[in-house]
Amino acid sequence: MAIQSDQQYKSPEAPAEGRAPDQIILRMASAPRVTRASSLRLLLLRFLFPPARIPGWKGYTAAVLGVALASGLIELIGQVIHIGNISLIYLPVVLWLATAFGRGPALLASVLAFLEYDFLFIPPLYRFTVDDPTEWVSLFALLITALVLGQLTAVVQEHAREVRESQQRTATLYALAQLIASASDQQALLDALAQRVLHVFAPAGVRACALFLPDAYKRPVLRAKAASAGLEHATLELEQREHFALAVWALTNGSPVGHSVHLDEASSASSQKEYSLIYVPLQSRREVVGVLGIIGTVEMQRLVSRVARATERTSSRGAIATNQQNAEAAFFSAFCDQIALALERAALQQQVIHAEALRESNHLKDVLLGSVSHELRTPLASIQAAASSLLEPGVQWSEAEQRELLESITGSSARLNRLVSNLLDLSRLEAGVSAPQKDWHFIGEVVATVLDRLDLAGQGQDHHIQVEIPDNMTLVPMDHEQVEQVLTNLLENALKYSPTGSAIRVQADVKLGPEGGKELEVRVADQGIGIPAAELKTIFDKFYRVQQVRLPWAKTRPPTGTGLGLAICATIIQAHGGRIWAESQQGQGATFIFTLPIPDDGPEAAILPLEEQPAHQPPLAPEVNVS
Amino acid sequence: MNTKPADQEDSSLPGERTHGGQAAPGPGRGSSARILVIDDEPEIWRAVRAGMTSVGFAAEWAATGAEGIDLVARWHPDVIILDLTLPDLDGIEVCRRLRSWSQVPIIVLSVREGDADKVTALELGADDYLTKPFSIAELVARVRVALRHAAQRSGSSDREARFQTGGLVIDFERRQVSVDGREIHVTPIEYDLLKYLAYNAGRVLTHRAILRAVWGPAYENEIHYLRVFFNQLRRKIEPVPGRPRYLLTELGIGYRLRSPD
Repeated sequence: MAIQSDQQYKSPEAPAEGRAPDQIILRMASAPRVTRASSLRLLLLRFLFPPARIPGWKGYTAAVLGVALASGLIELIGQVIHIGNISLIYLPVVLWLATAFGRGPALLASVLAFLEYDFLFIPPLYRFTVDDPTEWVSLFALLITALVLGQLTAVVQEHAREVRESQQRTATLYALAQLIASASDQQALLDALAQRVLHVFAPAGVRACALFLPDAYKRPVLRAKAASAGLEHATLELEQREHFALAVWALTNGSPVGHSVHLDEASSASSQKEYSLIYVPLQSRREVVGVLGIIGTVEMQRLVSRVARATERTSSRGAIATNQQNAEAAFFSAFCDQIALALERAALQQQVIHAEALRESNHLKDVLLGSVSHELRTPLASIQAAASSLLEPGVQWSEAEQRELLESITGSSARLNRLVSNLLDLSRLEAGVSAPQKDWHFIGEVVATVLDRLDLAGQGQDHHIQVEIPDNMTLVPMDHEQVEQVLTNLLENALKYSPTGSAIRVQADVKLGPEGGKELEVRVADQGIGIPAAELKTIFDKFYRVQQVRLPWAKTRPPTGTGLGLAICATIIQAHGGRIWAESQQGQGATFIFTLPIPDDGPEAAILPLEEQPAHQPPLAPEVNVS
Repeated sequence: MNTKPADQEDSSLPGERTHGGQAAPGPGRGSSARILVIDDEPEIWRAVRAGMTSVGFAAEWAATGAEGIDLVARWHPDVIILDLTLPDLDGIEVCRRLRSWSQVPIIVLSVREGDADKVTALELGADDYLTKPFSIAELVARVRVALRHAAQRSGSSDREARFQTGGLVIDFERRQVSVDGREIHVTPIEYDLLKYLAYNAGRVLTHRAILRAVWGPAYENEIHYLRVFFNQLRRKIEPVPGRPRYLLTELGIGYRLRSPD
């Protein structure tokens, strides 16, 4: 069906005819109520100066009554004393009416005062004719004064109100701008915007709203919603499939589109109230960045200028109402523009972040390739050189020479293996899939395993590795493979950056953490060159390597590496909920410390019974029973 | 439905028969031991063959799981070296199928990341595992351990009355444990544990296998208990409990007692 906003929207003046066939009945808990002023003074003030938008008939009734009252007063005074310009009594009434109800009632009061004064007090009495021509002067003076006074007052009042409202709107827009600027992320921003629309336009009749943002296929997707109390289900209406076409239309065509829905009043099932449902496109300079769906009372439609214009044609209200509507519509439109700008900026920000991430990852790849190709080629080259030397026909290698070449092959392969596992770990950590598979372990067993492996790889013989772990250590939850990796990296660093023959100490103990909980603290201390204070933090960054290392005891070139080891350590320890840091005084070695949290409910409490448990069966492996 | 018996606890008759019916089941019978390598990497095969032949074993190669199972039936190897990643069948599946009719020792090769696979293979009846990359010397040592256990199982060699590895001596007749000549007081259950480990010395034993054998099937999930227990036992028999020489940890898998000298 072709949807046109002007046709689709049914003005409140003709609600009964041609109800939409797909009208939806919603249950309403209770209609929103206006809070009543409690004090008498407020009531009086409100009576004297009712809000500007009071229905017109009240003003006109007040005009008739007020003029009649003034006439009565003149009659009373006239019985006591004769005053020439007693007709002035009408003027305060006109003034009040102009202030309180605007032009129309003041105009009516002026004419009524003119007629009543003529009819009641100017001879001949009870006729509209005048005997004394001079009376005409005073009569018309009254009429003109009353008319001018009334109009002037009304204009001043209107101006004052407009200024007040404009100030209020400016303040509201400013608050909106602040809200947009302070939103932390996109979802928070959208939620806050929906709440704000509801809050600001509730007086104009808005009862529920929803924000739709286009997806990749330019289809609106609900991202945030808000509803006033008791009308929470109204937001569902905005998501209804039958109305969804309207949202799509608003998004693609960039103009507002409306519809009417009938919602059940909860108080009386028979009475239904008509609500308006409008989708307003949120247009930035370049494109429609979203759709704001609103549901509210029928008066709400005047917010949306195009729908309002359609209403104007059938409206019986005067120019004042139209001016007011225009101001409100302009305000609403400004509000929507602000939201659109905010959405556009948020979208741009996302693009920037995405681009940044891409650039970062490209940079990472470049650095990785640069660093790794060297690191991979070096051991490969030495393996190839050693192996091809051994295969060289016609060369008789002495046993010692052969051994040296073979050791070179073994060492290089061990190095390649470590590099590959670091790279694998890195890619897994980058992908964020290596959540620790924790189990309870003794740190001593993990340390021993790592040291055994280093021994196997032929590392560590040149250093004195001292392990200081108390016998009564508790079990600590950890992913043993990951903690092995951390310890291996820390130990290899210590071996690499400290002189042969020096001591490396591995200590572990249970301490109280900064938050008062128990934690395992593991320290790996070497007696090497140490780390400059400025670099103590950056060494945990990816690809970071301490600058210009010169090992005073080494004749060969500085130690090689990818700069990945410590970054991997940091990621692993953080994933465990622990901390890792380095301490160093330059020239006096470096100490790497990491902690792992220990929960209070460790499994050791329930362990003693196992010792007392008698053996269930002879502890023989079944296969040895055969003999 | 019952899963396959784990860790050879339930040595079913067919398995024994197959093993017993082999033509040349081990070094004790005067012929060289037969080692079957099931691995799709030719380079690994070349290295393993060189290592095996250098110590006098006969080696044969199967590049796929199916071919490997076929060769086990035709060639009757004494030890199978099985890679867990094969082009056709999952190594675990090969292990499962072999164990349904054969008790030939299986040594599993796997990559570092794969505790779960290793444990599954061991629970299914694999005898040992090695993590790639490994040294050939280590593989040969494991093959020897496997052959020795197979020989004990088939009853071709009598069980020693005492077990010795390094300074650790377990006297089965007198139920005594000593380290470097110094007698160690162990509780009955510690002795049972040591005895079970000693009978399987050199082999990795999963946590569950140890718990099942020493404490009974009801306790096979109490792995933390076992860790604490080993910690206590190490303090009694290890010269340096922090760097154990006898009771070795296979993190995430189980424990291994050092091979006898």
